[in-house]
Amino acid sequence: MTARVDPNLHREIARFGGHDVDLCMNCGNCTAICPLSEESGGSFPRRVIHLLQVGRTEKLMQTVDPWLCYYCGECSESCPRDANPGETMMATRRYLTARYDWTGLAGLFYRSAAAEIAALALVGLFVAALFVLFHGPVITGHVELNTFAPVHWVELGDLVMAAALTFFLLTNAARMAWMFMGGTEMFKISPAVYLRQVPVFLSHFFTQKRWRRCGSGGSQKRWLTHVILVSGYLSMLTLVLVLLRWFQTDRVYAVYNPQRLWGYYATAALLYGTVNFMVSRWRKADPMHRFSEASDWIFLVMLFLTALTGIVMHALRIAGLPMATYIAYVIHLAIAVPMLVVEVPFGKWAHLFYRPLALYLTSVKEAGASRVKAPVEAAA
Amino acid sequence: MSGEKKKIGVFICHCGGNISDYVDVEKVREEAEKEPGVVLAKTTMFACSDAAQQEMIEAIQKENLDGIVVASCSPKLHLYTFRAMAERAGLNQYRYTQVNLREQCSWSHRDDKEGATTKGASLVRAGIAKVRLSESLENSRVDTLPAVLVVGAGVAGMRAALALADLGLSVHIVETENEPGGWTAKLGPAFPSNRDGAELVRNLREAIQTRQNIALYTGAHVAEKSGSVGQFSVRVRLSSGESLQLKVGAVIIATGFDAYAPAKGEFGYGLPGVLTLPEFRHMLKTARGPLVFNGRRLGTVAYLYCVGSRQEPDEGHPNAHTYCSRTCCAAAVHTALLVNGLDPEVNQYHLFRDMRTYGKNELLYEEAGRKGSVFVRWDPGDPPEVQEEKGRMMVRVADLLDAGERIEIPADLVVLVTGMVPRPNQDLVHVFKLPLGKDGFFNEIHPKLRPVETVISGVFIAGASQSPKTIAESVASSLAAVSKSAALLLKGYVELEPFVARVDTARCTGCNECLAACPYDALEKTTEDGRQAVRVAASLCKGGGACVPVCPEGAIDLLGYSDSEVTEMIDALAREAVHA
Repeated sequence: MTARVDPNLHREIARFGGHDVDLCMNCGNCTAICPLSEESGGSFPRRVIHLLQVGRTEKLMQTVDPWLCYYCGECSESCPRDANPGETMMATRRYLTARYDWTGLAGLFYRSAAAEIAALALVGLFVAALFVLFHGPVITGHVELNTFAPVHWVELGDLVMAAALTFFLLTNAARMAWMFMGGTEMFKISPAVYLRQVPVFLSHFFTQKRWRRCGSGGSQKRWLTHVILVSGYLSMLTLVLVLLRWFQTDRVYAVYNPQRLWGYYATAALLYGTVNFMVSRWRKADPMHRFSEASDWIFLVMLFLTALTGIVMHALRIAGLPMATYIAYVIHLAIAVPMLVVEVPFGKWAHLFYRPLALYLTSVKEAGASRVKAPVEAAA
Repeated sequence: MSGEKKKIGVFICHCGGNISDYVDVEKVREEAEKEPGVVLAKTTMFACSDAAQQEMIEAIQKENLDGIVVASCSPKLHLYTFRAMAERAGLNQYRYTQVNLREQCSWSHRDDKEGATTKGASLVRAGIAKVRLSESLENSRVDTLPAVLVVGAGVAGMRAALALADLGLSVHIVETENEPGGWTAKLGPAFPSNRDGAELVRNLREAIQTRQNIALYTGAHVAEKSGSVGQFSVRVRLSSGESLQLKVGAVIIATGFDAYAPAKGEFGYGLPGVLTLPEFRHMLKTARGPLVFNGRRLGTVAYLYCVGSRQEPDEGHPNAHTYCSRTCCAAAVHTALLVNGLDPEVNQYHLFRDMRTYGKNELLYEEAGRKGSVFVRWDPGDPPEVQEEKGRMMVRVADLLDAGERIEIPADLVVLVTGMVPRPNQDLVHVFKLPLGKDGFFNEIHPKLRPVETVISGVFIAGASQSPKTIAESVASSLAAVSKSAALLLKGYVELEPFVARVDTARCTGCNECLAACPYDALEKTTEDGRQAVRVAASLCKGGGACVPVCPEGAIDLLGYSDSEVTEMIDALAREAVHA
């Protein structure tokens, strides 16, 4: 089959931060030095860059290579032309995330920081407005959060939001699978194979274990920081989406109570991870943090502010300041909700989902191929 | 001449083991000593060393030697060393003979020391035989004319003419076309400076016009040549039909190249969207903004490299050649930069085999990539295909950088990156007797050490007539030819080796058989004591010896290689063979 080229692909990728694709001369130094490329049987980053240059859009959608890279940045450091292959891989993931999203919002946000900030502000103002218009009685004698913001109403809002996020995320994931597997080809593999490979998704989702072998210097530490950040994030998500009734109580439990301990862990992990990554991006200390697109900053800042406002609100409530607690609560939600609504399906958060999904689909492809191949070999 | 009475010295060189490890030099010395006339036979560690030369000089003077043999390495290395040594000792340099004991003996017979020693002794014996009959000879001297003929008024020829004129030499430039400038004037901006070629040529032409001692003849052809180094006489046919006789001391050939012409159908050549690189450059010359081709704004260009180059000719590529023109890669990426400058939106695909943008041209390659040119490598065993589909060109190629996956590139224009081929210069080849290399370009004597000289003394080659070259390289080689010709002519004379034919007029019957045999027209009819005879023009004679065997009277001999000398040498060699 002969593939038609799309001469505009390398211009398109520049809009997602891949500004140096044209500098590459395909020497392959990046692939030679990449600690993950060989074991994956791949030829990345070189081949991904070549696909971008030549304009192989369809093949790019079907290759797992961009998702195999965890950006240790050794390729960028060894590139004789300063073509920054690591950043190109990053930009490719942004581009793919935008392509998976059927609403077009992801693409819009990646290409325009203004649009992303406006969306965050809009959702934030909407949340604030809801509280201004519909809050419960304001008790000023002592802190009674569940009267100001009754937990069952907040939980309802939570669930509506979760349903919307799940809808967008799953439809985009379906699109990704469709593109990745080559359209109808995906149905040629038995559903049993899809089912059997689910553990692959789960293990990569929770551990990002391949990252530990990425790069020689400091990769373990970066991986650990990231794992801590993810665990904090997932803790927070579980507390506010699943366990809100247990978590948002007016009674202040003892400090060693699991409710408080888990909350503290989530907050601490979020603060530690975000501050760590923000400092690294600011100092451009790691190769992977040398180039920061607006989308990278926005996600970190929003996560950081979510954790910060959460802890501030908690402190005010312990201090027994009712009005300040209520206001802090509204601000906290006016940051947390847009962070979730914008970032999960359309923003940087999505990589948390797409990367393990790509690895999972690759396992499915391989398992499916060996299954299809076996009878042919037997017949031969 | 009585050879027997001559006192001969023989010096045998160890060459630091190169010879003596395989040839028993002491045995050779003993054998040499037995030869009649040999009054001195010595071995020496390095004959070429200053100390050894000094020893030889002292021996020549002390023993009052009439001739010497040095048995050492190839004469290519030290012929002139020992000739000079002989002259310093007061011995005529042609009374010395070099025997090649190293390349022709020790190095070639490492497996047979005894045989090598026997052969070495024979070779030395032959050398002694030659020296025994050798005569003192004097170099001949030819006055040189302070004028140069430059053939071709391209950038190389024009630049050479200017440099020669500024050295005080008269210059005649002969150009077959009606305008000077050659390809440089026709291809637009030139890399790496991006200055317009036409402007370069205009500047050169204006500079030429200010020189009193340069004459430029356009529409003119070289018709005939006589004479030799320092004293050429060349007949030039002018556009008017008249002829001009030019007297010059040296000739620089700078006739340039032809562009490779693909056959119809070769990579789609002949289709409306397929051009060669020179054709595309011609189109770009007048462009000032976005390019329009076949009535459409140019969207995508595909450059197909190595068309006609690095390929055996076959049915589809009857004119192909196996060499690499090495300039086309740089020309193609430079063209891509020009296109990008006119319209940055144009997509440019470069389908290459190997990228050869050597030297500073690497910067052009990098810059082209930076400006969005895409490079796709293909395998010569699976070349790209060009077809017309729905009014556009479709190029299909197996992308080597993606494991040979097949891709198709819809292009508005396919540019065949063609190389340089030699001009069909049969007239010049015939007139100047210039040898051609296997690629059909004019051949130098030695690519590294004598890069602009030809085997015809006084005739130099420059520019792309020698091999594919960039403008900068052409000019560099033309200036090299300038310095070689100026070094020759500014001295005022040339010395010629005395190895020319000699006619024994007493025996010559004037049959003129030899005249037909000489390729250099060096023999002429004359009258000697009132009867017909033949005379040798020493300045024309190359010592080729073609005249010697055709003479029915045996009246012609070659100085330095006389019949008797060679016969004696053969006898000396054969003598040993009988013994062995």
